[in-house]
This record gives sequence, structure tokens and C-alpha cells, in this order.
Amino acid sequence: MASQRKRYVAGALALALPLALAACGGDSSGGGGGSDGDTLTVWHYENDDSAMGQAWAKAIDIFEDEHPDVTVTVENQTFEQIQKNAKIFLTGDDVPDVMEYNKGNATAGQLASQGLITPLTEEADSRGWADTLPDSIQTTAMYDEQGLMGSGDWYGVPNYGEFVGVYYNQDMLDAAGIAQPTTFDEFEAALATFKAAGITPLAEAGAEYPLGQLWYELVLHYGDRDLIDDYQLFADDVDFQNEAFTQATEKLDEWIKAGYIASDSAALTAEDMGVSFINGTYPIMVSGSWWFGRLVEEIPFTWTQALFPDNTMHPGSSGNLWVVPENAANKDLAYDFIDITLRPEVQEILGQKGGLPVAGDSSAITDEKTKEMTENFESILDEDGLAFYPDWPVPGYYDVIVSELQSLVNQSKSPSEVLDGLSTAYQDGKTDLLEG
Amino acid sequence: MAAPIETLPTPVATGRPPRPPRAKATDVDRRHRRGTARWFVLAAAVGVAVVMLVPFVIMVLNAFKAPADYSQNGPLSWPAEFYTEGLRNFWTRVNFPEKLVNSIWISGAVAIFAVVLSLFSSYALGVGRVKGRMWIVTLFLLANMLPQEVLVYPLFQMAQEVGLSNNQWSVIIIFTVIQAAFGTYLLSSVLGTFPKALLEAASLDGAGRWRTLWGVVFPVVRPTLSVLLIFFFIWTWNEFFIPLVMLTTNATQTIPVALASLQGDRMMDAPTTNAGALVSMIPAIVFFLIFQRTLTRGITAGAVK
Amino acid sequence: MTTVDRAAPPSEPRTRGTRRGRRSRDWVGYLPYLLPGLIAFTVVILIPFGMNIWYSLHKWKGGNAPLRWYGLGNYTDLLADEQFWTSFRNSIAMILAMVVVPTLIGLLLATTLFDVLGKRFGPRVASVLRATYYLPQILPVAVAGVLWNWILNSQTGAVNVVLREIGVANPPNWLGSTDTALPTVMLVLIWIQIGYPVVIFMSALQRVDPELYEAAELDGAGWWHRFRAITIPQIKPETFVITLTCTVAALKVFGPIYVLTRGGPESSTLVPSYYSYLNFFDKSKVGYGAAIANVLTVLIIAIAVVIMVLQARSARREEEGR
Repeated sequence: MASQRKRYVAGALALALPLALAACGGDSSGGGGGSDGDTLTVWHYENDDSAMGQAWAKAIDIFEDEHPDVTVTVENQTFEQIQKNAKIFLTGDDVPDVMEYNKGNATAGQLASQGLITPLTEEADSRGWADTLPDSIQTTAMYDEQGLMGSGDWYGVPNYGEFVGVYYNQDMLDAAGIAQPTTFDEFEAALATFKAAGITPLAEAGAEYPLGQLWYELVLHYGDRDLIDDYQLFADDVDFQNEAFTQATEKLDEWIKAGYIASDSAALTAEDMGVSFINGTYPIMVSGSWWFGRLVEEIPFTWTQALFPDNTMHPGSSGNLWVVPENAANKDLAYDFIDITLRPEVQEILGQKGGLPVAGDSSAITDEKTKEMTENFESILDEDGLAFYPDWPVPGYYDVIVSELQSLVNQSKSPSEVLDGLSTAYQDGKTDLLEG
Repeated sequence: MAAPIETLPTPVATGRPPRPPRAKATDVDRRHRRGTARWFVLAAAVGVAVVMLVPFVIMVLNAFKAPADYSQNGPLSWPAEFYTEGLRNFWTRVNFPEKLVNSIWISGAVAIFAVVLSLFSSYALGVGRVKGRMWIVTLFLLANMLPQEVLVYPLFQMAQEVGLSNNQWSVIIIFTVIQAAFGTYLLSSVLGTFPKALLEAASLDGAGRWRTLWGVVFPVVRPTLSVLLIFFFIWTWNEFFIPLVMLTTNATQTIPVALASLQGDRMMDAPTTNAGALVSMIPAIVFFLIFQRTLTRGITAGAVK
Repeated sequence: MTTVDRAAPPSEPRTRGTRRGRRSRDWVGYLPYLLPGLIAFTVVILIPFGMNIWYSLHKWKGGNAPLRWYGLGNYTDLLADEQFWTSFRNSIAMILAMVVVPTLIGLLLATTLFDVLGKRFGPRVASVLRATYYLPQILPVAVAGVLWNWILNSQTGAVNVVLREIGVANPPNWLGSTDTALPTVMLVLIWIQIGYPVVIFMSALQRVDPELYEAAELDGAGWWHRFRAITIPQIKPETFVITLTCTVAALKVFGPIYVLTRGGPESSTLVPSYYSYLNFFDKSKVGYGAAIANVLTVLIIAIAVVIMVLQARSARREEEGR
């Protein structure tokens, strides 16, 4: 009995000790400790072989050349973790020096208003970031004390952009005898022609962001810059039952009734939508530039990408931001790194790989498809046409939009009821946000 | 709790005069009918098993499918070719061996510590009959009843204070307590009806509480402890939320967190996710199969009482 | 360690309160064994719970934002919140799907495996089948969500593909229609949960003295009668354990909802835990999320206490020989 106990205790210790030592050794890296100068810790959540991943690898190379005695540690993180838990772990000491984070009121804005990230205005001025970045891109880089974007201090620096356009399955267009639409009316006619031929034209997903973005495209079609400033930047009050919103929602309702969108798409995810476009089930997909790389890889047919017809504004924004946590230990190194990411060599890689650089030159891009998409993006920037995304104004709005539009697809609510639902949540969220 | 196994329960079949089973003819017929009936029962049970397994079959199918193939032909198709890139991709991208070690260390440590903690606590409650034990057990069970988001903010801050941030020990301690709550509940029921004769014999031999615990109680409840060991390991293995918050760098993270990294903001790599899930389940399954034999040997001697 | 008085004669172990701890059964002497558990519990559970209650009395955005006192405001807001009540209504469905059905089916399967298959085909068959039934418990919830989304996909999912083949014109939109979403989620939950009662019940059945069955058989009791009269009362303790743990799990359920429907469509599958999570992390209304979690916790405690009281009473009745 005693020997049994001894064996047990010995076993437990034998297990515990070496592993305990290992665990103690294997913990926190970066953050707290040493003076500015030893290490640079970078956290991001992009794929290594994506355009961003490759461009940033180049940026790290350049950084290491210019700072030979600094070790760079890169941590590939989970989107979930950074997105949801930043508010928690940034209060600690174990923070990176520079981190990728989502842009917008509900995300970077919150961190800014809570004092968790460092204001970068000084650096932006002294290093000329304000000149390098186009104006509409800068909107998402600045936040005021309440965390509303568009004004105030610089808090983040984007490297790339993104936007929503229309992807067309050229083969299916040809087979149905339709020319690629250049106007809104042509677009609707194309939808009708497909439907008459027994093909549901639009790939959609009601359980995630796609349907909301389609709705927003329509809002942008019927609305103007003032409406968007009111909606996104709280310039003025928003009446959800106004013309633009009503026309957009009724149009979407009309399309659903006409069968342009599959009636059972309420539970489909963005992944489902993408897959169904790739395998040729639906000829038209209204979604973002983030699909580009994958579509290039996996699509066997001829396809094109264009802007939503007759829109002067488009959903889109800067890409994710580089932010510097308030508790970071090596802030100067962080600023150097950010500066490097904006340099032409790095931006050019973004451009070549279809990453939509903010400070790049599209004429240098070799691949035709990439060039086309980048030029589309540049034309939006020229018109100051970035309208951000529908779920940006207040935190948690994403779920509200998804839920309300699901009701529309399921035909359980009328357009004005949907707008009511959206309005209530918007007002509540806005009140919460402004009360600080 | 319930009656110990020594006392016979009131025989329930009595009170009725013995009667030959009606509607069933002779013994021979009955045996014959039961002979074929068992095959139907087997078929039904296997049918249920097949239904349980369908999603796993799909998972395996997609773990070895190329992404383009998956997008073209959907998740239910047979892979065009046996594609191991997804697996290899996952392995290197998340540095699987490192995560494997982390997960094994955390789950194993939690399993062992939680079992020991449960044993100690339930020894006091079940054998020692501490006053108010039902309320203490209920209190411990609170650990299981609290939703995890309640715990996360405060625990993170406390871990910061004591310097355990991004350290696996914080996760181990947290889950030890949570699992031990269940263990204490289960085990104290068992020990509540521990044969007093054995305890008395031990005390007569001059054994103190410590020796009684290890010499008398432990060997008898070992099967129950094995069951707890399995449950705790598997439950901790798949834990996602608390490790996500407490472990912030790759070196310390566990497999479920690594799996989540395949799901980006807007994109998900389905075949790699399936390959990753498949590979991640294997250690847990192996663990279960090894210890399943103890389940077969049964939780005996007034185990779950 | 306490010394034991060797001269003490063996007698009923009902003596208590002897201050000098003559019998090693004196419960005070056992307190040191309880201490590690109590300390760990206080640190890891009680303190955070207390802090959570503190948060729920404030409006707070999280991080370094200031806490603003709100008293019981969050709780009064809750009472008026439609979504809150919906989520609790759905909890009842969760209990049905995670407690009632799996327990019943689990018992049926366990009995079948143990009584029929184990005896007539050997224990290996029973073990293999049991492992199969338990497999869904080992699968990470996130992956289960992906897989079931594939199977239940309204357009390309296996279920609807098969239904269309056999001629059903408009197969239901399983996870996308407010009518079918909740029942569908319940079915997936049953799939996940079944293994747990099966494993526990099987070990419980092994515990029952076979002599009881033989005696009953000799008395002419049929299978069903034996089952009802012997098996069920004998495995009552396990039944209580399963009921309690599954009920708590059902009230707390989060993962499957998150991966299958995110609470939709149109909030038809919203559950309290998920609603609390949304407030904590998405909407940055930490105080409100904390209040929801607290109400949920109180409810769980209340139900758990009821079950445990029933369990204790049933056990006492057993001891007294009914």
C-alpha cells in the first residue's frame, strides 16, 4: 500500500517537474523587459501566403537590414482571439509591439477610446504618412475620444484596402447571351434573363455578411455621400424610413420575390456562397476583393470582376490597421516597422499579389486580372467612393443586420418592418456609444 | 445516497404468485425466437452507430481532398485524388507537434491534479462526513455551473497580477478546479457509502486518515478514478474559450486554438480544417480507447452511488 | 496526522464531536483534506463570480474604459428585453434535447448493449458500439458545427440531396427557416449528447447484482418487468448524476449554437449563454452581459439544488429500505 502510494507520488512528480520547467520556460515572449531596442514583436492574423503575408515578410527583411541587432518575432494569431479578446489582453503587459487589428468604430475605435492603443499622430506627421495615404483611406485611421472614426488622433495605419464589387461567370453570361452589364438597368435585365432561363443568378449567404453587403450596395445606389456620412460618422441623425433606405430594401425584397436570390439562402455561409460560385451554380456573386486570391486559384472558367453598376460609392475601406498597444515596450521600433510597410518596395508586392496597396502604383502590376481589380479600387479612391460596411456604425450591428435580412429572405417581415428593426438597434447602439 | 451493494433491496418480484409466462409458448420456441431477435437488435444498434458516424466519414473524406476539388464538387464527394497537402499544411502552419505537446501537458496535468483534488475533497466529504457536506458539494458544483465568459475577465486580471499571464499553469489551475467540481460530486457520492467495515479495520490497525486514504480507499475506488481521468482529459482537451484568452502566443497555445486559426475573418480553409480536426482527435480517441477497458471492468463496489 | 487511541473499542461510527478526535472519523480532522479544494475554488470561482456581480452593477465597455455605476439598472433592463426572454424559452428546448431525450435513448442503448448484445455477441461488440456512440463527445464542437452545416445545407447538404432523390420537391431549409432551425439544432445536440449517458449507464448496469435478475426471472418476470422493477431503481444514482450534469450543460449551452446558427435565424435559436457572450464581446456591454450571466447562474443553481435535494431524498429512502 505504502509502496503504491510512493510510486504514485513519484510518478506524479516525475511527470510534473520536467514539464513544469518546460512550461515556465515556454511562456511569454515580447512585451515587458529590456529597453527599446532588443526585440520587435509583431502579431497578425493573415495567411502567410496571402498578399499581406508576403508583403510583410519583405517588410521584416528590410527592418532586419536596418536594425541588425534587433530580433523580430512574428506571431501568427487567431482572428477570433485578437478580435474578441484584445480588450482583455491589451490591459496586461504581455503585449506585442505592433499588432494587426480591425478597422472601424466597433473595433479599433473601441480600443482607442479605452486608451489601449497609442496615438500615432506625431509619427504620422513627422514621417509623412498623412501624405502617403489617400484621404478616404485615412478616415479609418483616425478616431476621436468616443472612438468614432474620421477625426481625432491617428491610431492605426493601414497597408492595403478592400472593396466589394461584382464577380461574373463569363462563360455563363455568354451561354445565356448576356453582355456584361454596365448600367443598373442592364444588371437587372441580366438577372431577369438568367431567371427566365431557369438559373438563379445571385450567389448569396444570409447567415453571414454577404447579404448585408448586397443590401448596402443598393442603399449606396439610391443614397448619397451625405447619407453615408450621417450613417457611418454620425454627422446627423438617420431616418431609416427615408427614400434611399426604403427603395433599397424594397428593391432587395423585389429581387427575393422574383427568385433572383435563392429562397433558402438564409442559413448559407459566405463559404457556401463562394463555393457555389466557384463550381458554377450561380453566375453572379457580389462580394469582396478578399476572394480574389482563392478565385484565381480554384476557378476553371472565365470570369471577370467589376464595380457595381451605376454606383458612385462602394462598400469598402482600408484594410486592417497596424496598431501599437499602449503597453508596448518597443514603440520606436514599432513606428519604424510601420513606416517600412508603407514603402514602395513593400507596397509593390501587395500590388503584384492582388492585395490592393494604399500607396502603390497599379501600372506596375503584371498580372491582367490583378491589374483590373487594382484599377477598379483606384477609381473608387479617386472618387472618394469608399463607403465602409453596413455593420460598422455601432458594435454588435453585424448580428442585427444578419437577423433582419434573414427575415427578408424568409419573407417573414416586410421591408419597412426590417428597417424598423435596423433603426431600433442603430439608435440603441448609438446612444451607448456616445454615452462613452 | 443509494443503498450499498451488500444489502439486498426489497425483492420486487415477490408479492405476485409465480406464474408461467403467458402468450409465450414453450421454452424451446422462446429460445429460438430470441435467437433470431438478437440479430435484429444488433442490426438496429449498428444502424444507430452508422448514423452517429456519418459526419466523421464526411470529415475523413474532406481531410484528404484538395481545396479546388472541394470547391468544385462539394463536401460530400469522394476526393478526386488522395490529397495529403492539407494535412501537411496544417501540421507545419500551426506547428502541430508543439501544440500537441501543449495540449497533452495541459489535459494530462489537469486530469491528474483534478483527480487528486477530487479525491481529497470527497474523502473529507464522503468518508469524513464533514458537516453541511451537501451544501459544500453544491458550492463546488458552482464551478461547473458558471458560464465561462463570467470567469474570463477576472481570471485574466488575476493571472496578470501573479505573473502567470500567458502561462499554461493558469489554464491548468482553472480547469483543475472546474473538473474537480464534477469529480468531487461524483466521488463524494461514492465515498459516502464506502464500506465502514474496511475503514474500521484500518483504524484498528492504527492507520491515520492519510494512510487510510491511500491504503484502503484509493485501491477500492481506483476504477472510478479512472473514469474521472478519462472524462477530465477529454473535456479539457477540447476546451477552447479559456485557453484562447489566457494563452496569447503560439508557443503556449493548444490544439483547439490552433484549429480556430484556420478560420479567418472571412475565409475558411475547409479541407485543412478537416485534416486538422482529424489529426487533433486522434490522441483523445486513443486515450479513450486505452482507458475504455477500465470502464468495462466497471465502476464497482458501490461506485456511483 | 492524528494519533488513534488503540484502546478504543470498535463501536458504531456515529460518535461525533469528541473534541480530542479519538476516532479518526471525527469530521473536523478531515478538514485539511478539504482545504486545497476550498482555497482553489475560492480563488478560481468565487472571486471571479463576485467580480462579475460587481460588473453587473455597472455600465462598462471593457478594457481600460471607466465603470459607471448603474445599480440594478441592468437587471431591470433585462426584464424588459424581448431577446432575453426568447433565449430562456429556448433553454427549455435545450433541456429537452440535452437531458430528456439523450437520457431515455441512452438508457435504451445502454440496456441493449449490455443486456442483449453484450451477453449474446460478446463484450467486444458492446465496447465497439459504445465507443462509436461516444465519438461525437470527443469531436471538437467547432468541427462538429462545420460538418453538420455541410450535411444540413439547404442546397448541397446530404440530407436534402437524398430527399430530392426520393422525390421530395421542396426539402426544408433546416437551419435557415425559423420553423425548423430550433428542432434541427436540438437533433444535432442529441447526436452530440447520447454518448455520455450511454457510457455512464453501461457502467451502472454492470454494477447491478445479477442475482437480482436471476431471482426475478425464476419468479417469471419478463424482460420489461425486470427492467422496470429492478434496473431502474438500481441505477437511480447514475440517473440523477446524468440529469443534473446534462441539465446544467443544457442551460449553459453555447458552442453548438455558436457554430450552427449564431443564434439565428432571426433569433430563433438564441440561448442565454450566447446572448451573454454577444453582450460581453460583440456589443461591449460588459455590465449587461454580466447581468445576463448572473441570472443564468442563479437559475442553474436553483434547478441544480432541486435535483440534488430530490437525489438526497431518494437516497435516504433507499437506505431506510423504503
